[in-house]
Amino acid sequence: MKQWFINQSVEHPKRSIILTIALTLLMGTGLMHFTVEDDFMKMLPHDIESMMTWNEVKDEFGSTDLMFLGFGHPGTDVLNAKDLATLWDVSLDLEELEMVDEIMSISTSDKMESIDGFLEVSALQAYRDLNDEELESLRTYLDTNTKIRTRSLAENGDFFNIMIRPLVGAKNDVLVSNMKEVAAKHLDDYEVHWGGQGYLTGALPAMIRDDVMQLMRAGLIGMLLILLFSLRNVSAVGSIFGTIILSMIFMFGFNGWMLYLTGSDKFMFGVLNTSMPIILLTIANSYGVHVITKFFRKMRDNKDPKTAVRASLNSLALPIFLTAITTIAAFLCMVFAPLEPLMGYGFSISMGIAWAWILSTVFLPSILVLKKWNPDSAAVSHPSHFERFVIAFGEQVLSRPKTVLITGAIVVLIGIAGIFKLNIEVNMKSFFKPENPIRESLEFMDSEMTGTMDLQLLINADLKSPEVLKKMESIQAFMEDHRSVTLSISIADVIKQMHRMINDDDPAFETIPDTRAKVNNLFTMYSMSGDPDDFSSLVDYDYEKGLATSMMRSISTSEIVELVDEIETFLQQEDYKDLNITITGLLIVFRDLVGLIIRSSFISILASVLIIAFIAAYFFKHWFWGVLAVVPLSSAVILNFGLMGIFGVDLNHVTALLSAIIIGVGVDFAIHYISQFRNHLHTHGLDGQLSRETMRDVGFPVILDAASNMAFGALLFSMFIPMQHMGGLMIFAMVSTSTATLTLLAILLELNKRRLAKIEGIAITD
Amino acid sequence: MKALTRTITISLMMALPLGLFAQTAYEIAKAMDEKESPADMKSKMTMTLTNKQGKTRESTISSIAADDNRKQIIWFLSPPDDKGVAFLKIEHADKDDEMRLWLPAFKKVRRISSKKKADSFMGSDLSYEDMTSRELEEYTYELKGEKIVDGVDCYILESTPKEGITRTYKRFITYVSKADMVPILDEAYDMRDKLLKRRIMKYSKQKGYELPKEIYVENVQKEHNTRLVFKDIEVDTGVEEDLFQEKNLKRLPR
Repeated sequence: MKQWFINQSVEHPKRSIILTIALTLLMGTGLMHFTVEDDFMKMLPHDIESMMTWNEVKDEFGSTDLMFLGFGHPGTDVLNAKDLATLWDVSLDLEELEMVDEIMSISTSDKMESIDGFLEVSALQAYRDLNDEELESLRTYLDTNTKIRTRSLAENGDFFNIMIRPLVGAKNDVLVSNMKEVAAKHLDDYEVHWGGQGYLTGALPAMIRDDVMQLMRAGLIGMLLILLFSLRNVSAVGSIFGTIILSMIFMFGFNGWMLYLTGSDKFMFGVLNTSMPIILLTIANSYGVHVITKFFRKMRDNKDPKTAVRASLNSLALPIFLTAITTIAAFLCMVFAPLEPLMGYGFSISMGIAWAWILSTVFLPSILVLKKWNPDSAAVSHPSHFERFVIAFGEQVLSRPKTVLITGAIVVLIGIAGIFKLNIEVNMKSFFKPENPIRESLEFMDSEMTGTMDLQLLINADLKSPEVLKKMESIQAFMEDHRSVTLSISIADVIKQMHRMINDDDPAFETIPDTRAKVNNLFTMYSMSGDPDDFSSLVDYDYEKGLATSMMRSISTSEIVELVDEIETFLQQEDYKDLNITITGLLIVFRDLVGLIIRSSFISILASVLIIAFIAAYFFKHWFWGVLAVVPLSSAVILNFGLMGIFGVDLNHVTALLSAIIIGVGVDFAIHYISQFRNHLHTHGLDGQLSRETMRDVGFPVILDAASNMAFGALLFSMFIPMQHMGGLMIFAMVSTSTATLTLLAILLELNKRRLAKIEGIAITD
Repeated sequence: MKALTRTITISLMMALPLGLFAQTAYEIAKAMDEKESPADMKSKMTMTLTNKQGKTRESTISSIAADDNRKQIIWFLSPPDDKGVAFLKIEHADKDDEMRLWLPAFKKVRRISSKKKADSFMGSDLSYEDMTSRELEEYTYELKGEKIVDGVDCYILESTPKEGITRTYKRFITYVSKADMVPILDEAYDMRDKLLKRRIMKYSKQKGYELPKEIYVENVQKEHNTRLVFKDIEVDTGVEEDLFQEKNLKRLPR
């Protein structure tokens, strides 16, 4: 089989090139069906308990993931005719948007008044253009109704706050884009702030993708330059890039076809898929670099491209095949990930890797055969300075085995200690640098308005019962005592206000009535002049479920956990047990989701390690090889999470996933090293030069591979902190896995060479 | 409720772009408007509200109306939570309508005002605009064709508020029984010209009057509906004018 593959490149290079390109283009036609999906909400799993509860809440009460728009002029009171007219226009235009369920602003709110015995439910802002008298009346109403004021205005009264409730199932990304058009039409002269979990989930995916794609281009250029500098040959670098591009076309085409054929959202290209092209790039680059460097080394010996290609492939076919299947196996572990798009991710990138393997063992060697190489050129005839440096480095490592081992052990121990300092954080605000405009907006809304986070308490009880309503009131008071909660709203507030109104606006009656009949009469009274939908976000149709919403300033994930614990402890009191309260909201879903992703990422890392060990043991025919193959990977994993803990890099869904993925890529180095070590063991035996020869053979391609992939450290310049972490992790993973391979693994192999020779059935002579 | 019937009846009249048909459409509207109605009407109604999840609320109401429904008093008989709540409405041509509500738990009569004509009445899918009489001359009419609806041969009429007349609907499409000149299906479009409400009316004949037997109103945008079923209808019973007073709200009818 191996020889058949080798023959295709060596004997039929043109046919092989045409065939691989044609097959790539055929699969590439799937790009017609390739679809980008920026709706983050679609990616969330629907079978976790908090999500199911949240979905039930949305079905009953409408969407709870509000978006916020604040606008005004710092220091200038917005309650004036001109600004209110603008608010009216903006609110009306936002209301017209198809995916909007409700707009809550001064312009759209109702007021309840008691006028000469009337309970009058009427518009808080009756007209677009208000006269002085109407303005004064509005101001007075807001002053006496603090909850409405807090909800609608900044603390200093210099900004309006508009809350946007999307329709259930609305595409947040499209809605955000439409809202921005409305804002651009009316709010050119104002300072504008956006916020809310709904807004962030809508706005972020496209921003992150654009940012990453831009930086990826910079990374590609960096990779190109590093390869050119090291290989010193344009054709060689061009053929590696050819392999990369064809792999990408194949992968995206496959993704498109799968979406077309299965119709499944799993194959939509969303924000989580952003790392796919980067990962495939590094893998295809790795295969190409190993083939090219081996080819140059062989060319130095015999000057004939065909012989050099044959020799290179004889040496590399197995390790490249092994690295491909181990990486594919690792990515296929994502099929069990909690997020649906990651299943599509796993399948599609596996196909891309498989194709990169075919291309690097058929397409790339065919080009090498066809190209007329000058055997006397510097690239072919002499090792580069870089290559010589790597060889010298290998010599130093191999001459100090104990030092290397002890150093490695110390580093791993430091890593283990650091793991205990890991911090889990998913507050989206922490995704942005402090000077980022989105973060500034969120901070502004936190300090001046109601904040942009919200938490819901779902109460299952008789919501016409005064006892229940009074308990709700005390729960809300407890919530409002928390430093992060700015406002709490429930049906109890509305009932209290109605009670006051029916008693001639007497503040003494802003209480829960003492009988159920009275509560019911109040609802009836409201239904005579208010819209029944006014309560739909607070209480269900049968008055059996109610929602108490707390508006909050941004808090960290650990604070959320703390707050939820406090609420749960409060609700454990005997008084509240009969209310059957569930804490829900997007924050709770995120909290659970992140836990799930992190757990599954660790399971995925563990599964990858075991699968890689198993595959290596199977193909190298002994369990000891399997154990050795995962030593560099395991130490890099420990070090990765340890250093994240030490340097305060938060563990969130992005960093957990990326750690799993990037470290999975790093395993390739160990496979290459072991494979060459075995080759030398079989061809030269224990001749004293075993590890040095292996180092000379594999050291340079491993370091070049790692160095060129490190160009994606360009992501360090991203405006998003998780993307910066991704760049940092990319560099770190490359450094840690390549170093671990060329130090720890190299020394372990050297120290165990007699045992390994015995395993391989090679005669040991003294 | 009769006001609703009457209103929709008026909406049936249409004016085709061609003068000949325009006359016909208007005449249909006029014929409906001038249809004889009882001096007073007593009835019991069951009002069932159903939301998009299929959850329902049912109320039983006793109603007495007079003066072409411009005066009406209603008492809630059930559910138990609402029993005793009563409502009085008197429409005025020259000033705001008068509405009073008796709240037995508070032992108070409260006046109610709704300036927003689009607001729902009693949580139903009927708005105040749906329930108040509309003037024949405030609309233009157009005949859109003819169609058999549920076995009834109907005119299809479009009525649009004339310029300067403020309404919460942009237009109505009404299916009018040719035989009885009453509307049997009516579709109301919002200001964005999207279908907002669909209303289906059924009638019974009593003392020569076409009286409502059942009205079904569906808000297609909110996926909410209201079904009103009339029973024990009595007409021309000689209701005293002084029945429509605040003091009578407190007395549940037998």
